[in-house]
Amino acid sequence: MNEKIIIIENLVKRYPMGETEFTALKNINLTFDKGEFAGFVGPSGSGKTTILNILGSLDTPTEGKVVVEGEDVSNLSEKASALLRKEHIGFIFQSFNLLPVYTVFENVELSLLLLKKSAAEREKAVTAALEWVGLQDMARKKPPQLSGGESQRVAIARAIVKRPNIVLADEPTANLDAENAHIIMQTMQKLNEELKTTFIFATHDEKVMQYLKRKIHLQDGRVSKDETMETKTLQL
Amino acid sequence: MIKFIFTGLLRDKSRSLLPILVIMIGVFLTVGMTGYIRGFIEDFVDQNARLQTGHVNVVTKAYAQNESLMPIDLALLGIDTLMKKLETDFPGYTWSPRINFGGMLDVPDESGESKKQGPVMGMAVDLLSGKTDEINRLNLHTALAEGHIPEASGEVIIGEELARKLDLHPGDKVTFIGSTMEGSLTFRNFTVSGTIRYGVRQMDNVIMLLDLKDAQALLDMENGATQILGYSKQGVYFDEEAARTRDAFNKKYAGSGDQFIPVMRSLSDEPTLGYYLTYINSFSGLMIFILIVIMSIVLWNAGLLGGLRRYNEFGIRLAMGEEKGHVYKMLLYEALFTGIIGSVFGTLLGVALTLFLQYKGIDISGMVQGGAMIMPNIIRAKFSPDLLSVGFIPGVAAMVIGTMLSGIAIFKRETAKLIKELEI
Repeated sequence: MNEKIIIIENLVKRYPMGETEFTALKNINLTFDKGEFAGFVGPSGSGKTTILNILGSLDTPTEGKVVVEGEDVSNLSEKASALLRKEHIGFIFQSFNLLPVYTVFENVELSLLLLKKSAAEREKAVTAALEWVGLQDMARKKPPQLSGGESQRVAIARAIVKRPNIVLADEPTANLDAENAHIIMQTMQKLNEELKTTFIFATHDEKVMQYLKRKIHLQDGRVSKDETMETKTLQL
Repeated sequence: MIKFIFTGLLRDKSRSLLPILVIMIGVFLTVGMTGYIRGFIEDFVDQNARLQTGHVNVVTKAYAQNESLMPIDLALLGIDTLMKKLETDFPGYTWSPRINFGGMLDVPDESGESKKQGPVMGMAVDLLSGKTDEINRLNLHTALAEGHIPEASGEVIIGEELARKLDLHPGDKVTFIGSTMEGSLTFRNFTVSGTIRYGVRQMDNVIMLLDLKDAQALLDMENGATQILGYSKQGVYFDEEAARTRDAFNKKYAGSGDQFIPVMRSLSDEPTLGYYLTYINSFSGLMIFILIVIMSIVLWNAGLLGGLRRYNEFGIRLAMGEEKGHVYKMLLYEALFTGIIGSVFGTLLGVALTLFLQYKGIDISGMVQGGAMIMPNIIRAKFSPDLLSVGFIPGVAAMVIGTMLSGIAIFKRETAKLIKELEI
């Protein structure tokens, strides 16, 4: 039996909008197994980012239950949420969000500093992460010296360097051309297979969708379709 | 993590350079101004004490009420007894009788006719007994412009400006014309032994300095003096100590209706001087307070702008699992670091300015020309060890307060709301 890494039960998320409320997510029920390569797909405003934020414990449900790595994120304190993100979750954002004054090595190293790893452990883990994404020669460069594709690969290295069980990627190819988008997706696919890291995407990009093994279609905050795809492995 | 934060701080000049410059300038101004104001106050107090008021002084009650008229008829009499009492009761002070009086100085030509005349302010001090330190106290050796200090009865020394106006030189004869304590007309010839320059126009224009005994004889004031000045043996004026001495002395004579009872006043009791001292002290405190407020506001704004620029970084750090409190704490460490660096440089520059102004001084003679107060023409700053902290602590505090205010928005926001605003 596969290990359930995320369980979502009757999830509802409402936001205040003036005197009324806007319901972003309506009665979502889903589970994710360890090692999945899945994605929420749908048009803008369908609730993709909202659900990703809740899974990442950056936001809380209005109703229902969301259990991530055995922790119910709706009841977590500020400190416990931070701990969950620090230890188990990596984030990849559409605009890379690298810190420009730090080198590639230092950007990737940051999450290990938060975990209080020793200098030797950090050196080893960062070197390995940069090798995974093929940027070992760029360690001393700074983000402004990198291309878009290279920047997003650094962001991937930063997300996986601490070996999280879950990586949440919000529109990771939105700022990349087609060639770089494929390279990024293939990199993540390879990491999913080698490290058994669970990847969950939010995207409306066809280039991303063709790599997903599971597509969860969102429409106006509801799951309209949950489909498992044939395994498709592309070689780098 | 701290190393990581400081690495970013050092590399990102806009994050470190502006706050350091603001702090440095603010601390520099605070230290420099404090040193200068302090020097001004000390010079001001010291000069007034030496030339006019003493740290404390004893006059008759009636004289105190009419002092501006220099009423020698209301002077203290029997000062030998009073001096002994003062020396016994207040051994922390040295006591010196003086007589201040007004009159006219007449300069005769070869045939004895009046050539020139001018008003003088006579100041009689003990110059010849050798028992007092008045010559040093009045800095006569330093102030001597020409000739010599009176060495015998019948010699006077006059202000350089007065000598220039009356065309007098050492060795010239002059006649003092005035009135005695009893109101009779009095004349006496003196020899000008020299001229003095205090750099205080109010003194240099009118002063005539002579021995106390000569003045007592001239004014029919045997064993009398218009005032007895007391100088702390520590050499420095302490307002609280002077007030205690004054109160102890005055308590002895309280309740008497006699207009000629002696009363003691401290330097800050002098109406104009006291007002200026209070004013200057309040002004210097207010200036430092305003500088801190301005620095805090500038740094608050700089912190807000810097915070806006770094919203992205904060968002990433929060998403990676750093707690909001930790982000805020790191911001404060940064502020402390930049505050200390800025304050160190600001203090060093401020101390350098103070030492420069202590050596060089600023000539304010143009501003005090014609004034009634005794003020030095050149104001010098004064270095004291507490200048090392007077700007340093406010500098660091302003930086930390500015950052606390600007960073509080991050600390108070819910993480979800913050992440939305951070637009990562």
